[in-house]
This record gives sequence, structure tokens and C-alpha cells, in this order.
Amino acid sequence: MKILVAIKRVADPNVKVRLRSDGSGLDLAAVKMTMNPFDEIAVEEAVRLREAGIASEVVVVSVGPEKATETLRTALAMGADRGLLVRTEATTEPLAVAKALSAVAGEEQPALILLGKQAVDDDCNQTGQMLAAKLGWPQATFASQLTVNGDRATVIREVDGGSQTLALALPAIVTADLRLNEPRYASLPNIMKAKKKPLEERQPSDYGLVIEERLEVVRLEEPPTRAAGIKVKSVAELVERLKTEAGVLA
Amino acid sequence: MIHADDGSLSQEQRMMRDSCRAFVDDAVTPFIRSNWQREWDMSPGERLPRSILEGAETIGVRTLGVPEAYGGVDLERETEVRTFALISEEIARGDSGLADKLVQNWKVSILLREFAPKHLQDKWFPRLLADPQFLLAHCLTEPRGASDRWLPYNVPEAAMHTKAVLKDGHWVINGRKQFISNGFDASLYVVYANTDTSVGMLQGTSSFLVPRDTPGLTVTKCNETMGCRFMNNGELVFEDCRVPADHLLVQNTALGSAGQYFRAGKIIQAAKNLGVGVACFERTADYVQNYVQGGRILIKHQAVALRLADMATRIEAVRALIERASRAVDEGHPDMDVLCNMAKVYASEEIMKVATHALELHGGNGAMLEFGIEKLFRDAAIFLHMDATVDVSRMKIIKTMFPATAGKYAGPEN
Repeated sequence: MKILVAIKRVADPNVKVRLRSDGSGLDLAAVKMTMNPFDEIAVEEAVRLREAGIASEVVVVSVGPEKATETLRTALAMGADRGLLVRTEATTEPLAVAKALSAVAGEEQPALILLGKQAVDDDCNQTGQMLAAKLGWPQATFASQLTVNGDRATVIREVDGGSQTLALALPAIVTADLRLNEPRYASLPNIMKAKKKPLEERQPSDYGLVIEERLEVVRLEEPPTRAAGIKVKSVAELVERLKTEAGVLA
Repeated sequence: MIHADDGSLSQEQRMMRDSCRAFVDDAVTPFIRSNWQREWDMSPGERLPRSILEGAETIGVRTLGVPEAYGGVDLERETEVRTFALISEEIARGDSGLADKLVQNWKVSILLREFAPKHLQDKWFPRLLADPQFLLAHCLTEPRGASDRWLPYNVPEAAMHTKAVLKDGHWVINGRKQFISNGFDASLYVVYANTDTSVGMLQGTSSFLVPRDTPGLTVTKCNETMGCRFMNNGELVFEDCRVPADHLLVQNTALGSAGQYFRAGKIIQAAKNLGVGVACFERTADYVQNYVQGGRILIKHQAVALRLADMATRIEAVRALIERASRAVDEGHPDMDVLCNMAKVYASEEIMKVATHALELHGGNGAMLEFGIEKLFRDAAIFLHMDATVDVSRMKIIKTMFPATAGKYAGPEN
């Protein structure tokens, strides 16, 4: 069984990002980039299924800029077998990525496609769902547990107020939530070995696609800065302000 | 700034750096910060919990230098020293003692890879790979001298006191080694001993592989140090310690043959030192942007900002010299010996100043054990003399630059 894992290169969530001075977007020129953390979880799950003998091959794919090869290389160092970059310098919106992934799935014929539930840069949480619609495959999003048994998968999903268990017929789409697993580090020996693993680069046109930007960003603004705290003179004043200003006491 | 420029690194180097940093941030730094008392546990074996070395195993950082055929890491040889520098800096940013534990393994693994007969590699590399607690040590220094006496002078009078004699198919080693990194914990040692008293040390020193359980080898104590305390420095005594003849690694020219690895050692030393400096800067930059004094955060006070600028500038200068020196070694540049010593000595003095600023900028907190800044200060201090003192390093720089006129041996001791 082949697993396809889709990954995205994003700004490191531990790094503080700033807006460009003209407000047109984020200034990412000198920002450290990394694999979307939810995608790391998806890669880890796929590699575990291969290690358990359930999957036979793990292919990682990214739709993005040339530098996303580094992100793919990291996935190979985590244990994926083969990488594929569908190269575009355009801003990758969920629908365009879903179309590209659907084309890749047509060629690769995976039994399972794993994705992160969302990318931490735009927080769209749409690609997996759109891909399922394009392919007409069953989907289980926000997975916190995945079991594959023959041509069926069982997924426990995190939903508001509890969990939901779904049974799916393969091929299917599963998107990874935070608690699905704890991804491994790419170890130094595996980083060196990953150099020798195949990593192919394709153009969207190879699949008869044009990556379109359909969304227009109207405005971006920094979060408001937190106002400085104050010192109160007495307990009475504290209680008064908690009632009238903070609204935490009735 | 402060960290290595991504553009100067290869893709693999960046990935390795990222893995090391993630491991340090997830496992090492939280342990060091919340278990500061462990440094003062007087049972050396208990200080660093086994889980830390087991964690290091998940990034495969203990077995650099072990050939890939044995499951180790084969780095790109043309940038090997630069990569060693990068990784040792990252680990030392979490704890310089842990970094020291690991880098000894790399150095000795390279010696085994280059000089040990195949059947001994077949025996020891798998054991090293199998056990996360398996450490290696490199035994040069003796109570009567090392960098202060015999390393700078190639005359018979300055030779090592530890001697090895071939007798009945075995090398018989007698002598004492002290201040040996990993000496207290290691499972396998590379030991240097005099095998020809009539010549200088470069022509008369041999190296041997000595397993810890060899009769006649006694680990006598753990040397308690002011810094780098999570690496257990040890003292060893050899009394008619017999190893089979095939355990000889290099006969007579061991120090010269190992020279290229000592060069890497100086770079690694400087890089670990830099990691301590980076930790000082990160902790301090965070502190002065949060701690309020006189109604505003510290960094808004000009005197504080000036010191922070000085820390950053020194770190960048040290990094620039380490990068130049490591490139020189990787490329086999004729100036590499001088540059290695320069990087090592410069890093030790500059990072000491960086650590002093860190201590000062933390005020009273800087002196508190539980705050962890005084630990960085103690760790920085160790580098002034580990792997050659400041003065000896400078002397070697001038001896190498002016070989005809500088650095004559002052004469026999008696």
C-alpha cells in the first residue's frame, strides 16, 4: 500500500513574523522556514505505518517554491521514501493545492493520502477537504488515531466536546490533528541518507494545471499591542476595578 | 545574527542544525534549567540521567565519525570540520558538558576509523552503536605535563612519562593519565604512551586501544571541575597494563598522524565555547527585554544596551574566526594550524567576556545557582585552559608563524 503525504513549507511558528512596511503581506525574507507542524505529524504517521509493515511506500509531495525541496528533504530524513515537488512561486491557496494533489494522486494511485489538518501560516483548514471532494474519496479530518486494516481505515477524530470514530473505505483522505503522534527528529544519519533518496521536480503544467491566485488580500494588520498594567492602591480599588473594568467579578 | 547564517550552510548542515536545536530545546535545556542541583551530585555517575544520552540517540549525534557501514554518520568529508563545529555549538548551547561527552566520541571514532585494524573496528563499533551510554576517551594529558610541557616541545626531555614496551606479543603500559575528558565513564580508551625515549614526542609516541576492563587499568577518580560538570573528567593509572600487540593504533608517530584530528579538536573546542556564548546572549537578551528596573525594561537603559551590543559583537567575531579556521582545515590550507589555535584562544577569552556581561546584566539573579547564569559563567571559564591554556595556544601560534626563531625548549627539568 502506498501512502501519499502532502507537506507545506511555512514560517517557523516559534519565530515572530512582521508585516512588510507597506502592509502588503508578511516579511518572510529573513524568517526561518520549517515544515508545517501538522504535516510533520502526517509524515510521522505514514512512516510508522511503513515501519509496521502496513504501508510499502511513503511518497511526500509539496506544492510550492523551489526551497520547499528542503522541507521535502526533511520528510525524507524522517523516513519517507521519495519526494515530489510541484513547483510554483505563486501563493498556494487551498483549491489550487487540492487540484494539484488530485492530479498527483491520479498518477501515484495511493491508497491513503495524509495531510496536516491545516497549515499554521494561513490556517485555512481546507486543502484536505477540497482534495476529498475533487477525488470523490471518503475523508476523516482532525485525526487523533488512525488504524489501517486491509482496505479499511478507522479514524478517531477530535470534535467539539469529545471524539468521533469513523470507518472509511480506502482510498481515503485523513488529516492529522495535534495528538495523532509525536513526530521524530530527523536524525543525523538519516539526513545524510536522505540525500540519496529520489526527489523529483515537476511543473504544474506537467499536469495541465495553472496555479491561480483567486483570493485577494485586502488588508493585514499587526495584533494590537497589549496595554501596560497598572498598580492599584488598595484591595478595595482592586475589587472595584475587577468589577467595573475587567468584568470578572459580578 | 548571533546564530550561523543559513546562507553559509548546506541543506544537510541546516537540517542537522535544526534537529540538534530541536533536541536541545525540547530535552536538554528544560532538564538543565529545572535540575540545577544535579550538577552538585557527588556521585558522578548519577549527575546526568541516562535519559539524556538516550535522547541524544534519537538524533544520532553520539556516533558521528563512525563509518556508515557500522550505522554511524558519514559526513561530507570536504565540509566535515565545519559540520562538527556547527553541531557541537548547538549541543553546547544546551550544555557544554553534554557536548564534551559527545565530541570525545567523535574524535576517538575517527581515530578508530583511520587507524584500528578491521577486526577491532568490527568488534567495537557495533558495541558503541548498541549502547547509548557507551563513551570513548582520548588519554594524552599526564600529571607532569601536556600542553604546558610536551605538546609545544619536540625534545626527548619533554616526552610523556607513560611508557609502553612490547613484551611477549603484548604491549605493557605503565604510567598515569589525568584530566581525561570522559575518563571516569568511558568504556574504551585511546591511550598515548612513549615508545622511544631517545627522540622527541612527535617521533616517539604511540597510541593504543585499551578497553576499560583490561587488567592493570584503574580509573582512580573523577576530577571535580568548576564547569562543564556533566562531563565526568577522570584520572587513570596503568600498572603493567597489557594489551595484545594488535591494539597498537599508530607506532611512534601517533601524535603526528593524529594531527589532522587534533586540528578538528581545536575547532570543536572553539565551537562548543561559542555555544556557551550564544546561550549567554539568548538568556540575557530575553531577560533585559522583560525585567523592569526604574520603571522601564532593562534594555531601554543605555548602559544595559551597550553591554548587550558588546556581547553580540564578540559572538559574531568569534563565529567569523571559527568559520574561517574550519574552512581552512576542510580545505587543507597551509595556515590551518595557526588559525585553529587562534580560533580556540580567541573564543575562550571573548566568550568569557560575554559570560561576564551576562552575569552582570542579571544583577543578583546572575549569582544565583537556580537561575542558571552562573553555570554559563563557570562553563565559559573552563575553556580558558581545556585543550591547551591561553598562553600555550598563543605560544603555538607564534611558533608556527616563526618556526626558526620562536619557542625553544627551556631545558630539562632537573
